[in-house]
Amino acid sequence: MHSKFARTAAARVALATLLSTAALAMPAQAANLRLAWAQDATGLDPHTQTAFSSLRLLELIYEPLVRLDASLDVVPAIAESWEFSDDGLTLTFNLDPDASFSDGTAVTSEDVKASFERLLDEATGAAARSNFLSIASIDTPDPQTVVFNLSQPDAPILVAMATANAAVVPASAIADGSVATTTLGSGPFVLEQWDPNAQATLSVNENWAGGDIAYEGITISVLPDETAILSSLRAGQTDFALLNDPLVATLVPTEPNLQLNAVPGLAYNVLQLNPSREPMDNLLVRQAMSCAINRQEIVDAALIGEGEVTGPLTMPVYASVPSSLFCYEQDLEKARALMDEAGVDGFTATVIAATGEPPIASAEAQVLQSQLAEIGIELEIELMELSVYVDRWLAGDFDMAVAQNGGRPDPYPMYNRYFTKDGNLVKVSQFTDDELDSLLQQGRVETDVDARREIFQAFEARLAELSPWLWLSTSNIYTAQLQSLSGFEPSPTGSLFGLTEVTLGQ
Amino acid sequence: MNYLGRRLLTFPLILLGVSLLVFVSIRMIPGDAITAMLGTEAGLLTPVQRQSLAVYFGIDQPVPVQYVRWLGGLFQGDLGISVTYGKPVLEIVLQRFPLTLELALLAMLIALSAGIPAGVFAATHSERPADIGLRLLAMLGQSTPGFVVGLLIIFVLSVYFGYIPAMGSFTPLWVDPLANLTQLIFPAITLGFAFAASVTRITRSSMLDVLSDDYVRTARAKGVPARRVIWHHALPNALIPVVTLSGVEFGYLLGGAVIIEQIFALPGLGRLTLDAIGQRDYALVQGCVLFIAFNFLVVNLLVDLAYAALDPRIRLGAR
Amino acid sequence: MRIFKALAAHRTGRVGAAIIAIYLLLALCGLLGLTPHDPLQQFRIDRLSPPDTTYWMGTDLIGRDTASRLMVGIGQSFLIAFGSVGLASLFGTLIGLLAGWWGGWLDGLLMRVMDVLLAFPAILLALLIIAIVGPGTGTSVAAIAIVYTPIFARVVRGPTLSLKRRDFVDAARTFGSSQRYILSRHLLLNLVAPLTVQVTLALAWALLTEAGLSFLGLGTQPPAPSLGLMMSEARNLMQQAPWLLIFPGLTVMFGILGFNLLGDALRDIIDPRTRRRAA
Repeated sequence: MHSKFARTAAARVALATLLSTAALAMPAQAANLRLAWAQDATGLDPHTQTAFSSLRLLELIYEPLVRLDASLDVVPAIAESWEFSDDGLTLTFNLDPDASFSDGTAVTSEDVKASFERLLDEATGAAARSNFLSIASIDTPDPQTVVFNLSQPDAPILVAMATANAAVVPASAIADGSVATTTLGSGPFVLEQWDPNAQATLSVNENWAGGDIAYEGITISVLPDETAILSSLRAGQTDFALLNDPLVATLVPTEPNLQLNAVPGLAYNVLQLNPSREPMDNLLVRQAMSCAINRQEIVDAALIGEGEVTGPLTMPVYASVPSSLFCYEQDLEKARALMDEAGVDGFTATVIAATGEPPIASAEAQVLQSQLAEIGIELEIELMELSVYVDRWLAGDFDMAVAQNGGRPDPYPMYNRYFTKDGNLVKVSQFTDDELDSLLQQGRVETDVDARREIFQAFEARLAELSPWLWLSTSNIYTAQLQSLSGFEPSPTGSLFGLTEVTLGQ
Repeated sequence: MNYLGRRLLTFPLILLGVSLLVFVSIRMIPGDAITAMLGTEAGLLTPVQRQSLAVYFGIDQPVPVQYVRWLGGLFQGDLGISVTYGKPVLEIVLQRFPLTLELALLAMLIALSAGIPAGVFAATHSERPADIGLRLLAMLGQSTPGFVVGLLIIFVLSVYFGYIPAMGSFTPLWVDPLANLTQLIFPAITLGFAFAASVTRITRSSMLDVLSDDYVRTARAKGVPARRVIWHHALPNALIPVVTLSGVEFGYLLGGAVIIEQIFALPGLGRLTLDAIGQRDYALVQGCVLFIAFNFLVVNLLVDLAYAALDPRIRLGAR
Repeated sequence: MRIFKALAAHRTGRVGAAIIAIYLLLALCGLLGLTPHDPLQQFRIDRLSPPDTTYWMGTDLIGRDTASRLMVGIGQSFLIAFGSVGLASLFGTLIGLLAGWWGGWLDGLLMRVMDVLLAFPAILLALLIIAIVGPGTGTSVAAIAIVYTPIFARVVRGPTLSLKRRDFVDAARTFGSSQRYILSRHLLLNLVAPLTVQVTLALAWALLTEAGLSFLGLGTQPPAPSLGLMMSEARNLMQQAPWLLIFPGLTVMFGILGFNLLGDALRDIIDPRTRRRAA
């Protein structure tokens, strides 16, 4: 009923007016899950939205072919099963015959084909496009079967498909250009109404093939201040919330009626050096910096202990033990010796960071500043608004940058963009290395998991030793909930898909 | 009225200036709608992809061309389409405005109903302990940053009373008056706090002035009861500067209380503008700022007219 | 000199002057390094330590001494306040004088520009400027100065207009004084009174604005402390470490109070209309 109503833009506006005058007055309907987050989605087109805050909303509405579970294994979503050919050049999916969009029409192989063609079309502006460039053509032998023909073996492509950025949208919506306005997906929920940066309403998609949901819908409130989110939980006005700031998250367990879910995320905190600028172009200087910093201390101070020291790889399957990496224990003597060897007697550099993004950025920069001062490196901190920061970051216009970069479940899509010669973000890293290049390429075409692990561990060790960046730590992904709520399983990707399993207690 | 005519003539001129200022300055900030939407992933776009997004966001043309186009639309009452909301800017602004308006009115109501009696009391008890205490309180009230008051209110309410006002969505007054008032009362108190302090102070000093005026002395000498002198003879005249102050303050509040809306998670005009700046939603920023400036000008004009109407000694043309 | 004597005799003015004097002294100590601890040093084992005999006002998230940071922070906040109000009053006075004295199209043009700035929502204007130039002490000073310039222009233009019409200026004219002489001697002298009051009150607003901007993360750059930045850093620590919010909050409050008291007292002393009342 609702979904049909929501099909046209005009009906959507009418609905929004209706809701804003009627339903909004009762945000506390018992059968709705009341969700709060600080940052709202910035748009509704699953193919062009890449901000975490957008994905959190979109992955409740749209479904990709496959999904990652809480242990980062690939599990079925729209696709029931899949198979690589022996030569690794074709990938075949069998779709779930029950999969259907929220208006009741079945998801067919034509929808999948149209969605990926839209993704690959340059005019769409999909950032994830670069992960799918090995797709040469797509065949649809029958409505339930999709065959991707690849130009070269591409092991990580399956994982790359497991995101809302590769969501399947109706071919008809693509044809009439209404993807961003109708939000017609095949996911567990239907977007009823969205008032950006204020609130949104989701109802359960009766046609969802994934099973039944124990409540009727979700009302989302955008509370920009995280202490306000905590207050709202404490007052019982919110059932479930996303938190970013460890300072706020660690207060949750002190409340008797609240529960904190913390899981180490794939994203990593890093001090990016710019090796195209002096004296960071000098390997010895970069290594000296790596030896001079005390990573555990940064975790303890800036993250109040909420995170783990990490190397470049954050996914448990591939990550090495941090202590095995180059200079991961602070060694000031070695640092000074390296500086002497480099013939650099201290220098001044600016480090850029985004205000509140992540919340720990400023504290992290200040701890780094005090640590690097020990070997005569003076950092000047420039904090800026996120978009300004992104602009300078993309242009590689910085000496150093404090960043929190998104992780992927697979090392190849995580780093090929930065550290291969034709990576799109080489301008940001300003660093390439033949051996890193070849290791990444080997890892891409290798399909055997053990062999891949060996390749990527070599890659990680080399990256840490060359120190174009100084990898610091992972951060936890936090959700907080009322104790009465049960069944949520947090995921290292930050996905809220686990909400489909939740039951609201009373 | 010659004065009114001249004042109204400068309106479009000032608004044009505001529009030019906001149009140019928002585009001078590094980053655009594409980087705001995609974040660091914007670096993965090819030039062709970037171009097609720029067309979508309407930022592919040179700035002067964009400005002329936008002005053209403005004359037809079209403020443009917000790229974040996919809706006409005017519609969004008008949707957020009731909250800001109501909050400003409530804050003013609180300020006047607390400030005027306090001011009168202080003036009539001049230099006595009550006066000194009230003046000190008013001074402190004026000196406390709004966000400190707001944070403290939320903190105390949630920790000690297990309660906070509803956040996120806004319940309009005509839908559920009770829910609406419980939602807005604390932010209104926060905003009204410093406002009430100003009202107290200005009421007191203006009251003192008036009380020493001849006609009040005469009334007193004629044996008019003190209470009647204060409330009927003195207060109406003493309120003239209060009207001006409240009007000006109200004009500012109509621009949205950025920080208070942020703390109490209220979807008002101030936060709308702030978020729009963050998302580089140019059309929305322009629309918001122009709307706020327009309100500000109208309110200030009304204040001046009221001032002239209340005080016959003032001739507006003489400014 | 007369003003100082009058201030000393004025009850609340005395308090205001005392507060500001104490703040200036603290800021000076901060500037000279006479703080209990190094305001930038991170005492690793004493993170988030509550106030005690070593750290009079406790330590922050990364183990820095709040009291020392407050002393330096007062200096930073005052620097921004004095800098921005200084600039705003300088340019505002110039613009107001030009507009009021020459009148005509110049007056129209200048005052319309001021109207545009006034009609532009203040905090958003400051935010835009900071976003364009990039945050920092200089930018904060410039942004706050631009926001407050129109107020000074208006304050100066009014008296200039009426003074221009007054007899003693006419008299000076007929006696052949040059225009420049008239401007500098008579006008400025008669403008000093309203300007002094306005400057003092504007200092209070500037402190508030600086705190607000830093609260939104766009003011002073770390690790240098400013009162607003300290509060903004303490915001999410309100529960674990209330001293981090309380002390800077009180410091801002009393600083603004000081300027307000001083401004009011000056108005009482300078403005003859209110002097009658005080007598």
